[in-house]
Amino acid sequence: MASEILSAEGLRCDGRRPQEMRKLKCELGISEGADGSALVEQGYTKVLVSVFGPHECANRNTRNHERAIISCSYNLASFGSAIRKKKMNTDKKSTEVGVMIQNTFEAAVMLEKFPKSQIDIYVQVLQGDGGERCVAINATTLALINAGIPMKDYVCACAATVYQDSVLLDINNLEESSRGPLFMLAVMPHTDSIVQLQLDHRLHNDHLDKVVKETIQGCRDIQVLLDRQVKEWTVEAGSRT
Amino acid sequence: MTTRLSNAEIQYIVDGVEQDFRSDGRGAEDYRQIELETRILPNTNGSARCKLGKTEVLVGVKAEVVDVDVHAPHIGKLVITADCSAVASPKFVGKGSEVLENDLSNVLSFLYNSTNTISLNDLCIVKGESCWQLHVDVLFVQCGGNLFDVASIALKAALYNTTLPIVKVSGEGIEMEMEVSDDPYHVWKLDVSNCPICITLYQIGGGFAVDPSEEEVACSEGFVHIGVQPNGDMSSMEKAGAGNIDPTTLLEMVEVGVRVGEEIHKQLNKQLDAEKSLAKL
Repeated sequence: MASEILSAEGLRCDGRRPQEMRKLKCELGISEGADGSALVEQGYTKVLVSVFGPHECANRNTRNHERAIISCSYNLASFGSAIRKKKMNTDKKSTEVGVMIQNTFEAAVMLEKFPKSQIDIYVQVLQGDGGERCVAINATTLALINAGIPMKDYVCACAATVYQDSVLLDINNLEESSRGPLFMLAVMPHTDSIVQLQLDHRLHNDHLDKVVKETIQGCRDIQVLLDRQVKEWTVEAGSRT
Repeated sequence: MTTRLSNAEIQYIVDGVEQDFRSDGRGAEDYRQIELETRILPNTNGSARCKLGKTEVLVGVKAEVVDVDVHAPHIGKLVITADCSAVASPKFVGKGSEVLENDLSNVLSFLYNSTNTISLNDLCIVKGESCWQLHVDVLFVQCGGNLFDVASIALKAALYNTTLPIVKVSGEGIEMEMEVSDDPYHVWKLDVSNCPICITLYQIGGGFAVDPSEEEVACSEGFVHIGVQPNGDMSSMEKAGAGNIDPTTLLEMVEVGVRVGEEIHKQLNKQLDAEKSLAKL
């Protein structure tokens, strides 16, 4: 098991080098019914996000007179994981991830522009192979851009682990289930400001600096790809008759 | 999904259906273009994506080895569950989609209820002990009407390319050992030659139509789901929605439904076979 994570030649179980990210494919505006939507695939992890809003607040009690509120729901498809998971409406883990994404984007979206409104973010994980939260954040960024909701910057997320002193970026399911630390970072790349950070298991203090630096670089690399797709989509949408 | 139409619009749509010339130029028996893609989810045993109009459905089939049902020890199990994703509409967050999901799961399960649709005998591994249980999850990513038909087409396509590992059984009784093959090429496929699809016919005014748009659904009174098999047999039928249907109209609907169903099966099989010839698996 141990040698599967990182071989003697420095290759991971899927043939990548430690700092190599998975292949990223993204598409904007794939769901016509939503105000904004995006589908992002990183390796085998596939996440679809729909954004509705800004619209009138559904619940008058949660309405905020100064800025918009964000509501986020995260769901994993029954066929999404290796073992089939029955759909549960009140899954604690899903609720937690939903709140995490909501907090992340409350920092990035210009909420003051839409007082008393609500922005809904719905995340559907179609297939999970590690790093679902990160792909969800990346897809949400694109969906919000697709919806035309103003943001301070892209929000890009990347997960990493440390194995035998090497930082492994963009971890897949097998690497996530190993007993190493799971370090997730969501960053606004132009200013390198961290909007979300989660660490599971143990990480030695000596490694912290290295992990943060390399994960931020991973996020910057993701931003380049997302930006390229946004520009392509803008040209295509703008030239549509 | 409530569409508000003026009386003039309703009259226009109803007249169109009755005269076999709908607002988008289609006849009452014409389906819009169906987009189908299979093997899109490597995590599953079989998968398909189907898009028709504004409805998009993803179907994933996952198989696991379970104990047989005491009342049916010689057959496997097929469980069909529908899931309306929140990405399709804010109405589907939390428990909002429960009613629709139950309806969809029931109608789709009903389609496959009859014994000659899919051979559950093939799914039995050891009679009286173990069998395959196929979990078919239908995920609605976009809901724009005509959900049942799209789901049933995607379902059939997903079952068509579902591969199950070959199980080697050795020994008997307590010493029995089952070995599920790890080899991704050592697999077998289900026989879907009799699998039905659902054709839904909506009664609009004095006539009826298949594959209605959202505006046409708003003008309809009652609809009938018919499970049609490739050879023209009906595997199930159900009348739903508010509205009365005349028995003569019902017979006409069934005749049209079976005809349309057979045609769709032919086209579907042609495309699935063509796709199979593209890849060697």
